[in-house]
Amino acid sequence: MKLTELARVIRSKNAGPTTLTLDLMFHDRSGFDRACAAPALSASAIAGLYGVPVERVQILPYPPAFAIKIALDRRVIAGDPGDRDVYGAQQHGPLLELEL
Amino acid sequence: MNAIDRLAQELAGPGGLKPLRVLAASGQLGYGVPEPTLAAGLARKPHVLGADMGSIDPGPAYLGGGIMGTSPAVTRADLTKVLRGARALNIPLLIGTAGTAGARPHLEATLQIVRDIARAEGMHFRLASIRADMPRDLVKAAIRAGRVQPIGAIGDLTTADVDQAAHLVGQMGIEAFQRALRADADVVIAGRACDTAVFAAIPAALGYPMGPTMHMSKIIECCSICCVPGGRDPLLGTLEGESFILDSMNSERHATPMSVAAHSLYEQSDPYVVREPEGSLLVDAARYEALDAHRTRVSGARWEPAQQLSVKIEGAVRIGERAVVLAASADPRVIANIDAILAGVEKTVRELAPHSGSEPYRLHYRVYGIDGVFDWKRAPEPLPREIFILVECIAASADEAKSVATVFKQYMLHHGFPGRLSTGGNLAFPFTPPELAAGTAYRFNAYHVMDVDALEPLFPVEIETL
Repeated sequence: MKLTELARVIRSKNAGPTTLTLDLMFHDRSGFDRACAAPALSASAIAGLYGVPVERVQILPYPPAFAIKIALDRRVIAGDPGDRDVYGAQQHGPLLELEL
Repeated sequence: MNAIDRLAQELAGPGGLKPLRVLAASGQLGYGVPEPTLAAGLARKPHVLGADMGSIDPGPAYLGGGIMGTSPAVTRADLTKVLRGARALNIPLLIGTAGTAGARPHLEATLQIVRDIARAEGMHFRLASIRADMPRDLVKAAIRAGRVQPIGAIGDLTTADVDQAAHLVGQMGIEAFQRALRADADVVIAGRACDTAVFAAIPAALGYPMGPTMHMSKIIECCSICCVPGGRDPLLGTLEGESFILDSMNSERHATPMSVAAHSLYEQSDPYVVREPEGSLLVDAARYEALDAHRTRVSGARWEPAQQLSVKIEGAVRIGERAVVLAASADPRVIANIDAILAGVEKTVRELAPHSGSEPYRLHYRVYGIDGVFDWKRAPEPLPREIFILVECIAASADEAKSVATVFKQYMLHHGFPGRLSTGGNLAFPFTPPELAAGTAYRFNAYHVMDVDALEPLFPVEIETL
């Protein structure tokens, strides 16, 4: 199943200029549980997709909103020369293709 | 009598403090406060009116350049609305991170608008301003003492960074706002401030429990973004003591337990912990209950006072002058060869337009349709029908950046490559000139946390009577 079929929100945004966060929100507990268990959403898988060391990726399940917060280093500080997305609001693209 | 003492009298009840109503007018003052929903909020007789006016999110140009991100006309209109509202009810108005980035020029420009409005409207009040520019010697001493640490993926702060920053600010907490209010301010305009501090300063001074106080402040600073559907309408927070109620002033935006819980994720790296200068907000045990279809009651947040006071510091340094070229192509052979074309043109341009400064000018390309937004490691298959090419030059002077962009444009238009069919030109320009000066370029050179012994000396308060 694709992540896009399971999630109701897939978004990205900076949390400060050095950190990118990815939020995944699910309709219900079962979708949330399934995503939490998916190897495609492990820290190492996300590190590979975003090109950062695995120790710089945090996966934080947040059951009150059936959500998963992923926080990782930005490879380019927001607004530095060569940055492509100052707010980090369009960095969720790789997640749209994920198979769980 | 100052606003804190006045509210302490007004809210004293037989069983403790009565509920305190805090109205958040805007999550970013200057982008337009909706008038009908602000009026609805003021009709609820709030005890405090607050608004956030800035953020680090828009990038380094605003902090570095000392410029506002919002339009002067809309900024003035928004400030007029909140000043009228607060003065009509005689309630304190608190505004944080003045003028987008909260450094001295942003604060001064905002204060000047406030003074102009007061004069035009015949308003009289005590205006407090709070500076947030960090004393550079103090920051350098902190670096030498090992008291400054990076936040995330940025290097260690150096004393050279401190000297070179065009502006260097620190985020003030509730203490500075409370000091301004105790100096009998009616209106407080703060430089760089924690967005929570704007809303938490008064309830914290009155003795409401810090967990719910900070949690409510963290949510209402974004106004109705915590609702479904989210939006920018004013949000009323009613602090009951160990719980608070969220109530959007737009009847079509509902604060539901799920929408409010989900808001803890927004622009936070950790949904359970929010670090502030004076301590940490912990929301792992928070409970969200629907009061009705429109309002949610929240309880259970805890506050852990900091063992060590600290301040987040932000700095931006000028790195040169920027010019850009805007161009596009619909030729499949140009699209397939775009990387080689850009590399070939760059080689020619660097020969024809040598740099004048001590360092080579920087050239950056974003090819929309291929990898302009995200660094995909491979091109899409099939290739797109059209691409947009943004060429960026950062050089020592504006003339040099513009000159490089002009030469680049012409050689990119006519660059020859194997298999080329479109010998009339490789590019479509949407208008001419397609090369534009884009102003001074900055980057963040400080995003660090600094341990301090006292907050008060960093954030001086000044009062004037209008």
